[in-house]
Amino acid sequence: MIKKLLQYGFIVSIGFPVAFLLMLSLGRRWAYPNVLPEQMNFANWEFLQRSDSKLFQAFFVSLGISLCVAIFTTSIGFLISKLIAYSKNRNFYLVLAYIPYLLSPVIMAVIFQYYFIITGLTGTFLGVIIAQFLVAFPFGIIIYINFWNPQLKSIEELSYTLGGSRWQTFKKVLLPLSKNAIMLCFFQVFLISWFEYGLTNLIGSGKVRTLTVSVFNFVTEANIFYAALSCCLLILPPMLLLYINKRLIFFVEKTKIEP
Amino acid sequence: MTHILNIKDLYKNFGKETILKNINLSLEKNTVLSLLGSSGSGKTTLLKIIAGLESEDKGELLLNGKNLANKKPQQRNIVYLYQEALLFPHLNAFENIAFGLRLKKVDSKVIMEKVNHMLEHLDMARHAEKMPNQLSGGQRQRISFGRAMVIEPELLLLDEPFGALDAITRGKMQELFKDLAHKMHISALFVTHDLKEAIVMGDQIGKIQKGQLLQYATKKEFYKDEFSGVQKEIDFWKQINNN
Repeated sequence: MIKKLLQYGFIVSIGFPVAFLLMLSLGRRWAYPNVLPEQMNFANWEFLQRSDSKLFQAFFVSLGISLCVAIFTTSIGFLISKLIAYSKNRNFYLVLAYIPYLLSPVIMAVIFQYYFIITGLTGTFLGVIIAQFLVAFPFGIIIYINFWNPQLKSIEELSYTLGGSRWQTFKKVLLPLSKNAIMLCFFQVFLISWFEYGLTNLIGSGKVRTLTVSVFNFVTEANIFYAALSCCLLILPPMLLLYINKRLIFFVEKTKIEP
Repeated sequence: MTHILNIKDLYKNFGKETILKNINLSLEKNTVLSLLGSSGSGKTTLLKIIAGLESEDKGELLLNGKNLANKKPQQRNIVYLYQEALLFPHLNAFENIAFGLRLKKVDSKVIMEKVNHMLEHLDMARHAEKMPNQLSGGQRQRISFGRAMVIEPELLLLDEPFGALDAITRGKMQELFKDLAHKMHISALFVTHDLKEAIVMGDQIGKIQKGQLLQYATKKEFYKDEFSGVQKEIDFWKQINNN
């Protein structure tokens, strides 16, 4: 009984904010003391189609930035984390990896800003990607570091003595074994980048309008209906990722390798 | 008899610590040399150097008369087997054995034939489709042997391969390995810290202690050596018998 209650409680705690946002995005004119908005229609959603709304543009800018940051961090982090894990100075590098989280990304952005200004990267799409990568990359290292363990090293060495080249060992041994770690890193970094606001706002200096920046703009304008609408767009990719994650992370391993 | 492996004046240091000192070793073709040594004696380092997974500081390694210097592990045709079976967890028993053949891009029909033949040899044919986590420790070790032997390496290096098995399984595996080694004309270095296992498994015996190796010309010579521990063992069992 308690277990069931806890399960329902969990579902409600996840589902209620989503349902509430959806309702708000459909609402218009919500004055006190009405329990619900006076009008409920798709008028706000039509705002998405307007050329001056730039919400769709912000959505794709966010998607582009997050995908780039997630792909770079996942691939480069995979290679660098291996060097760090088997290094004599592993602990030293790990302490360095925690620094962005001790300082907070916004403070990191303040530190970066000077260098971004002199290199002309402030207010550019590339600048935001690089800034986010610098914060997300250490996180990728932290995710991967425990994947590289002595047993995996022995398996890798065994593959070499069985005749496997570095590429074959990567493709047929390391990649299949690291699938879960790679997906975890990709999803986590994507989410960090997707919801990033402070750093993006500072380095983007208002010229790079991501979805989170748009949400905050609507909130500061006290336009709760448009804010809810952009929030609906904001939670779409994470929900999709959550679904894919659940499907892929717990999949049954293939039993055959390709020749 | 021809020597498949010759090691001359081999040295290895880790920092200031000397791990291997003036190692000289020769292994005849189609024979098994047992290397007896306690933990930290340098036996694993020696095997890793032969496999190309560690580099020597000084010395010469010859396999079939050819110098192994600067040869990568994948070019040596020497397989190193660990104490754990280390099966690839994403592949079933059949594919684990086929792994080395697939790397060499051997024809699928030949792979099928060789792997099935090996599974028969190992008495594991009915477990071919099982994943490693569905196999017992002994079964995993059998597959591990099959995976190494199917590619017909010139030399097999076994680093306490039965160390993690119980006494009964260990006995069965020793018999199986001896049988396979004889049938498949295998040359191997078999590292163990167990005196009885060293005697059972090896055609020849060597002892490695504090980084120095002593290779006995015959087993008899080993039994006669008062520091080999054989006499102590015999006395112990005699004492038990008398009591």
